[in-house]
Order: sequence, then structure tokens, then C-alpha cells
Amino acid sequence: MTVITGLIAGALQMSTPLLLGGLAEVYAERTGVMVIAIEGIFLLGAWGGFVVAYSSGNILLGLVAAMAVGVAVAAVYGLFTVRLKQHQIVTGTALNILAAGVGIYLYRVIFGVPLLPLTVEPIRPIAIPLLSSIPVLGKALFTQSPLTYLAWALIPLGYWVLYKTQLGLILRSTGENPEAVEAAGIDVDKVRFRTLLVAGAVDGLAGAFYSLAFLGMYTNDIIGGRGWIAFAICFLGNWNPMGVFVGALVFGLADAVAIQLQTSGITLVPNEFLIAIPYILTIVATVVRSNFNVPATLGVPYEKERR
Amino acid sequence: MADRKHGAALGAVAWPILSVAVGLVASGLMMTLLGANPISVYGKIVSMAFRDEYNVADIFAKATPLILTGLAFGFAFRANLFNIGAQGQFYLGSVAAAWVAISMGESSPLVVLPLCALGAALMGCLWASLVGLAKARFNANEFLISMMSTYVALAIMNYLLRGPLREAKGEYPQTDVIADAGWIPALVPGTRLHWGFVLALAAALLAWFILWRTSLGYRIRAVGMNRDAARYAGINSGGIFVAVFAISGAFAGLAGFTEVNGMQHMLVQGFSPMVGAEGIGIAILGNAHPLGIVLASILFGALQVGGNLAVQTSGVPSSIIGIMEGFVMLSVILSYAAQAALSSAASKRALKKGGDRR
Repeated sequence: MTVITGLIAGALQMSTPLLLGGLAEVYAERTGVMVIAIEGIFLLGAWGGFVVAYSSGNILLGLVAAMAVGVAVAAVYGLFTVRLKQHQIVTGTALNILAAGVGIYLYRVIFGVPLLPLTVEPIRPIAIPLLSSIPVLGKALFTQSPLTYLAWALIPLGYWVLYKTQLGLILRSTGENPEAVEAAGIDVDKVRFRTLLVAGAVDGLAGAFYSLAFLGMYTNDIIGGRGWIAFAICFLGNWNPMGVFVGALVFGLADAVAIQLQTSGITLVPNEFLIAIPYILTIVATVVRSNFNVPATLGVPYEKERR
Repeated sequence: MADRKHGAALGAVAWPILSVAVGLVASGLMMTLLGANPISVYGKIVSMAFRDEYNVADIFAKATPLILTGLAFGFAFRANLFNIGAQGQFYLGSVAAAWVAISMGESSPLVVLPLCALGAALMGCLWASLVGLAKARFNANEFLISMMSTYVALAIMNYLLRGPLREAKGEYPQTDVIADAGWIPALVPGTRLHWGFVLALAAALLAWFILWRTSLGYRIRAVGMNRDAARYAGINSGGIFVAVFAISGAFAGLAGFTEVNGMQHMLVQGFSPMVGAEGIGIAILGNAHPLGIVLASILFGALQVGGNLAVQTSGVPSSIIGIMEGFVMLSVILSYAAQAALSSAASKRALKKGGDRR
């Protein structure tokens, strides 16, 4: 029983950053912009969060810094892709390569070469009174880090904003029919750019989860492709916050099972297979599902008065 | 008219040079953060890269896999397809090359080497074809699938390195050193430069030939320029998707052959983890043209050889190489934006003058 509880708790924990990143991606992509730089933003978010939390001794400041770094990278990405209309995949790849170099380089600039890896006390889970004492699931569900609760809160909020508010209508229309949005007197590029900044902040926070809530340290391979998984979850979740939640849980569970098996030393199936499952699932789901709700102008820069 | 053509040729050379310069200046600013003098660091990079025959040869040795992964991205890019899974195709190509070399053991290099090359190319080709097939048959997002397939390929490689391909000592996740027959001979004796470089050049020539001298290439470029128009012209775009990914994957797989049989002479877990991403940067820098890709690969090779040696004496960590590559890529993209803005400004001026646009 404790194994199951531990597994569920682990799955929820590991799904948190994927959920945050996936939600951010949904918002950006609904306006027509793929955040290909997501892997780099995750990484620099983890970096910025750690650097500030370590230097100031204040985790909260670290989280704020992670969001600020995320916004900064997203602004560069937005400048290239939204303002200058350059290719999203190409720009994002460049930023990801740059981020990998910059993260480890600036770490060195700030901390030199420490003899022991620098660590901070990871964010501790908070047990919610009463709810966490519900038998079986209570402990797993309600003894999580504050970031996890935040991510859960963002699901209904994200859903409500996207489908029940005027802002949501504008966001969705910007991805589906930017000409109509422009005709209504709204600046398409501005909508896209600002949404991108918000997505960058949330992605930065997601990255900081790994350095501040999970490991308590920064390494250059701390993200290891999980930004891409968040990116994929947005596709699999059909650009819908609820779908993203399901996707994040599946991937979080796979992550947790792999970690559990690694630490327990049990080998039922090769560990590599477990690690590969989420990726295989993504491929299968992408191939099998044909009724995807792809935003019509996803990845296409908006050109005024196109000739 | 001749003048414009001349101007275009000049631009094709001047813009990349300018953007590389801007990228290096930006990286230089990063170096000053560590109190290093960028001019002296760049001086060291150049002098190290060209110090002796060995290092110069190493530039081309480092450029070899980059040419191939650059071609892998660039070739698909011509069809407006995104093969960002070159890393995975490269890894599976490496596995095939190592497997063939190990199971053949000591026999004639004339048999072993072609089989290794064929195995690597075929493996990359098959793996990538699956992506093309998913795109053609189910209209799946090839960008996403090729990216995910890299992680699956990595898992397969890691599994094999832990199991059937593991070294006899059983200590590390790597294979034994392959027999001499599987070593690609040196191109310049006494250096690491091997005939794989010539193979990469031949691949670039082949890519150019397919794209601009065959009807398949014509169809590929037609699909790349306007998918709908190509369909109305009777081009079966699904078949093109599969063909493009097959060829693109074969290039990336071949890079596995040149690395395993030419450089490492064994298969090591997680080696060359950036070769796929760098290939994307190189293809963009080289404007997805085979000649541009070759030149950009040599530039990246020089940065790596000079950079890796320079960092040992200049107090700047080796991560500066990734920063240089990233900044160069970004400034190349910036130069595309600048060129587009300039040409649109020029055509507006022409319109105002009342002359013909273009």
C-alpha cells in the first residue's frame, strides 16, 4: 500500500512542471505561437531560480527570479518570431543551444568552480490539514509542494479564462483567425507577444521546480528533454487545459515509476523501456488521434496586408 | 540584370560572414564577464586551431558528422519538413555500424567498411522513414514525432549497451574497441582526419545532385515551396514525405558510421550529444544548401577544435563554444530578418518612384 501511495505521490510531484509547461504551451499555441524555446526556458528557469535562491537564501525570491528569466528568454523568442516574423522552430533551436551554454557558463561566472556541488534546501511539501489525513489517497494527494497546488489551481483557472472570458475568446481567435482579430481593432502581434511573456514566466517556474523543489541544486542536464515532453503534452491534450492535466499525469507516472524502479533495484522490464514509454505513447497518440484541434495559424507569423 | 545577380552572390557571402562576426562579438562580451580578453581568447582559438597539421586536420574530422547531420536537417527543410530527430537517427546508425564491425571481427576492410556504412545508413533511413510514413499516412506532426523518436532511439542504444553490445569486461556501458578492419583509414597519416570526411563531401554532392538535378529533387522542392500547388500539379506529397525522411535519415545514420568507425572506434553511451542540434544550426547558417552546410560545418569544427584547446589556457570554460554557436545562429536568423526588411524597403522605394516592382 505504501508503495502505491508513494507512487501516486511521486507521479503527482513529477507531473507538476509538465503541467505548468503544458498549460503555458496551450496558451501560447492557442494564439498561434509554438514555444520551441521551452526546453531552454525550463533550463534557464531552473538556473535563475537556483542562483537567486542560493545567493539570497530565499526560495520565494528564487521562484520570482525563475519567472523573470523565463519572461526574458520568451521576450527574445517573441522578438524574433512575432515581431521579426522569423521561423519558430529555427529560432527556438538556436535559443535552446544558447541556453545550454549560457546556463553552465554563468553558473561558473557567479560561483566559480565549487569543490562540492552547491545545494539549497528543497521546497518542502505542505500537508493540507484534514484533507491529507484522508485514508489511502489523502497523503499522496495533499502532501505536495506549493508549486503542485499552484499548478492544480491553474487548470480550472486556465480553462475558465480560455473558454469563458472575452480575453480567452481573443486568444483563441488570434490563433484561428488573426485577420478577424485585427479587423476588430486588436493588435495580433501584441496579443501573441504578451501571451508569450506569460507562458515564459510559467515555463520558468516549471524549470525552477526541478532545481528548487525536486533536486535542490542545479546541473546542466537537470531538464533532460522534459521541456519537450511538456511541449508534447500540449499536443496530446488537444490544446485544452483538461487534456494537459491527463497528459501530465501519464508522463508524471512514467517518470515516477522509472525513478522508483531505479532506486529499488527491481528489474521487471529493462529500465530503458520504462524511460522510453512516455515518448512511445506520444508518438502512438499523435499517429492514432486524427481529430486534433490544431490552431489554424500555429507556427505561422502574422503579416499585415499580405500581398 | 547581371549586376543584380552579382549583388545576390555578394550578399550570399557577405551576410553569413557579417552574422558570424556579430555572433562572435556577442560571445566576446560574455567572455569579459569572466575577466577574459575576448581578442586574446579568439587569438588563441585561431592560433590553436591552425597550430599544426594535426589540429587543422582535426577541424575537418570534427566537421565530418556535422556535415551529415546538417544535410539531414537541410535536405528535409527543402521540402518544408522538419527532421529534428537527426540525433536519434545518428545514434541508431552508430549502433548498426558498431554491431556490424563487432560481429565481422577481423576480416577484409574492403568488406567490413562498406557493410558498416550500409548498415548505418540503412538504420538511419528506416528509423526516419517511420516518421515520414506517419506524416504521409496519418498527417501526424513530423516535428513532434521526430523529436520523440530521438529519445526512443537513445533508450534502445542504452539498452543494447547494457546488454548484448556491452564490452567484454562488463564495466562501462560501452562496446569493446572494434577490430582494425572496421577502422576508416586516415586521410592524412598521423592525424585523426579519416576518409569519412570525403564520404561526407560525397554525401553533400549527392544531396545537391538529388535536389537540383533529378526529377525527385524537383518534386521535393515543389512540395517545399507550395504543398497545395504541388498536389494540383499531380505530385504525390505522401511519397515525397517518405522519400525525404528516408534520405535525410540515411545522412544522419552515416554520421554514426563516420563517428564510430572513424573517430571513436567503439560505441560509448551518450557520445556526441549535440551533433543533431548543431546540424540544425549548421543547416540554417548554410541556408540549407549543401555547399553552405559544408562551409558552416568547417566553421563549427574550427570553433570546436580551437575552442577546446583555447579554454585550457585562457580561463574561459568550454561552455563558451555552445554560446558561440548559439549566438552565431541567432545573428544568422537576425540577418534573414534584416535582409527581408531591406528588400521590402527597396521594393517600396521602387513603387514610390513609379517604376515596376522588382
